[in-house]
Amino acid sequence: MLVRAALLASAVLCAAPAFAQPKTTLTIGIAAQDIGSLDPHFAVSTIDRIPVAWMFNGLVRFPPGSNDPAKLESDLAQSWESTPDGLTWTFHLRHGVQFQGGFGELTAEDVAFSLAKAGDAKTSAFSSELRPIKSIDVVDPYTIRLVLSQNVPALLGIVTDYSQGYIVSKKAVEQRGDGFKRNPIGTGPFGFASDTPSQSLELVANDAYFRGAPKIKKISYRFIPSDASRDLAFQNGELDVEYGRADQAWVNRTRAQAHTIVDIFEPAEEAELHLNTTIKPLDDIRVRQAIAYAIDRPELVGWRGKDVSREGLSVVPRGYLGFTAENGLLAHNLAKAKELLKQAGYPDGVTIKMVQSQLPEMFTAAQVFQAQLKKAGINLDMQVVEHATYHQMIRQDLSPIVYYSAARFPVADVYLTQFFSSRSIVKTPTAVTNFSHCDVADKEIDAARVETDRAKQLVLWAEAQKKIVAKVCAVPMFETLLVFAHHDTLDYGYKLAGSISLGPLITEATHFK
Amino acid sequence: MIYYVIHRLLAAVPTLLAVLSLVFVIVRIVPGDPAMAILGDQATPAAVAALDHKLGLDKPMWQQYADFIGASLAGDFGHSMITGRPIVSEVGAVLPYTVDLTLASLLLGCVIGVPLGVWAALHRNRPIDYAARLVSLLGLSFPVFVSGIYMLLLFALHWHLFPVIGSAHMDDPLDRLDKLVLPATTLGIVMSAYITRVTRSAMLAVLGEDYIRTARAKGVPWRRVVWHHALRNAAMPVVTVIGLYIGILIGNSVLTEIVFNRPGLGSIIVAALNNRDYTMLQGLMVIYCFLIVVVNLVTDLTYGLIDPRVKHA
Repeated sequence: MLVRAALLASAVLCAAPAFAQPKTTLTIGIAAQDIGSLDPHFAVSTIDRIPVAWMFNGLVRFPPGSNDPAKLESDLAQSWESTPDGLTWTFHLRHGVQFQGGFGELTAEDVAFSLAKAGDAKTSAFSSELRPIKSIDVVDPYTIRLVLSQNVPALLGIVTDYSQGYIVSKKAVEQRGDGFKRNPIGTGPFGFASDTPSQSLELVANDAYFRGAPKIKKISYRFIPSDASRDLAFQNGELDVEYGRADQAWVNRTRAQAHTIVDIFEPAEEAELHLNTTIKPLDDIRVRQAIAYAIDRPELVGWRGKDVSREGLSVVPRGYLGFTAENGLLAHNLAKAKELLKQAGYPDGVTIKMVQSQLPEMFTAAQVFQAQLKKAGINLDMQVVEHATYHQMIRQDLSPIVYYSAARFPVADVYLTQFFSSRSIVKTPTAVTNFSHCDVADKEIDAARVETDRAKQLVLWAEAQKKIVAKVCAVPMFETLLVFAHHDTLDYGYKLAGSISLGPLITEATHFK
Repeated sequence: MIYYVIHRLLAAVPTLLAVLSLVFVIVRIVPGDPAMAILGDQATPAAVAALDHKLGLDKPMWQQYADFIGASLAGDFGHSMITGRPIVSEVGAVLPYTVDLTLASLLLGCVIGVPLGVWAALHRNRPIDYAARLVSLLGLSFPVFVSGIYMLLLFALHWHLFPVIGSAHMDDPLDRLDKLVLPATTLGIVMSAYITRVTRSAMLAVLGEDYIRTARAKGVPWRRVVWHHALRNAAMPVVTVIGLYIGILIGNSVLTEIVFNRPGLGSIIVAALNNRDYTMLQGLMVIYCFLIVVVNLVTDLTYGLIDPRVKHA
């Protein structure tokens, strides 16, 4: 204690405005026990995605602060062109881009290697995204050509700074093998320095970064799973940025603190109730419609918080390319819900089972919509299980109703394919997350995926949403935005309205005032 | 004595093997899959199959078991399925934090609990006794995640005496101590409450014994009667409770670790459970069991030191 006091006193005495240097170490508190994988092609959790975005680039990128796929701009590729049929794409790389750690200049070989790695299920969690790519050809050290087997809704979305699109150093991957996931090499503004299990990940500035040396020199990414402890550390000035809570009370309380800015940004995670259309009593559309009528979206948003959430208006989240609110979504109407149940043969109400995660955030929301359904005579018999068990059970088709909350790449095709295409039905060889066994919009989803005319594509996606809503495969409930907080001494260097990496992007321009 | 120690350690081997087998089976029969943590919720069955092959989870269960037991006997606990780090280095990185916290809270618990328990026993049914019992009841009743947060509010946020983030640089003794004070105090309070109550009841039982009356009749000073004759005989149940509590602390101080953002065995056990990190759980259980065996052994040896009638042969 004495040592601390003496150090503090000497620091105060020595401090003088003339010598004041802006702070260059950024400390970020994240709700996690530890990092999973820093190999960008295996970075699946929010915790992993955030720092990966600081270390790697794609051929193109979302502008910092945006997650709008219509605004993709140049990143490692300085230009690109495609043939009129959209099946051949040629990318011209920037010259002189250096990998971190002295791994040399980026070439088309690295790009070809990265995309091949990302497309292989053995070396990537996102291999299915690259399925449409038939061949990857290195034309010259700065030119790469992708040939597609079919047109895709947004090829640039595949090679952007997101999941499968990150470019790694071929040499580093080959040298480090499995160790690459803990000691990765990319071209981003920050490179890996060290990690301490259960404590922190340390990154250092890549002064050779092609957009200029970062103003922040070190990032300490600290794992603090306790919300209360993270808040206290932030208030105490031990953190510059903290992972927040999508909770109105938390937002109000944090906003009230001096010198604090709460960041609420896209993409939103949409919570939906997926109804298994093949089993009783949900195989009767009247029961599904009764559930849709019983859900009171404005009440859910009021409970969740008006700043951090909004009503779900379609089976595709708002802001996604292809989203439409003109889909015939049923509005809350208890009388109609009860009437439909009566017509379906359940005048005294109906009981439906649901496997539910005990994760507090999910469980609390489930209790709210359970109460809403109860008012209409629909008794939700929740089987509450541990979160990993929940994930396995819902994929084994053991829950007639599945409450699922997700954010995906912001193009309607991804959401529609994973949740509502018959190829994604759970317990099938090509299963993803189609819990409702919905197959009503397969034609539109498939046609939209290969449609080259954007206007026609939008019409097809809108039609798909209308059909899914009409069949009540899922009931949209609410969307939850991302929440972080930072002290006002930190300037991200851009306006944070969205982030595809699900956390604030720390760029070469980020600095302390 | 040495023969006894060796005998006890060897006797622990079947226990370790039984625990290992049990953990191996249990983690595999509970629902959940490490693939979800590694590949995320968009993983296709093909990707999961490729991962299972890589991790060896597609092998028959007996073969996985044989591989695991063989490697464990050779001292190789493998790598975490989630982080890819060697399990030994994962545990090695957090074990010093657990040992520090356990020993510091144990010390604090004894320093407060034993004198308070003795004091309460000597003043049975008087205000001092009531006060000691009330204080110990409060210590037991306050959950660590509540008392810990209050500690942080007062000592970190209000008075700025200690940091909120409790992960210290282990090679810096001052930093290590600085970040140990609050969590050790939080756990030490709970421990002292246990020890106070056990010491008090053990002392009350001993103080009524004939040999205490005899010692007093012989004119032995009261202070010596209490601390030498009574406490020594009352120490056995106290040592038993301490031994049991150390075992609990090693693995169960997870709430303290989370509140104070301090690494430790408890936290990584919970994380491994949540992620279904089979190899990590197996490795952790071996190490945890070994620590429990050692703690029990030390407890038994302490009995012999306290009471010469206890023979280790």
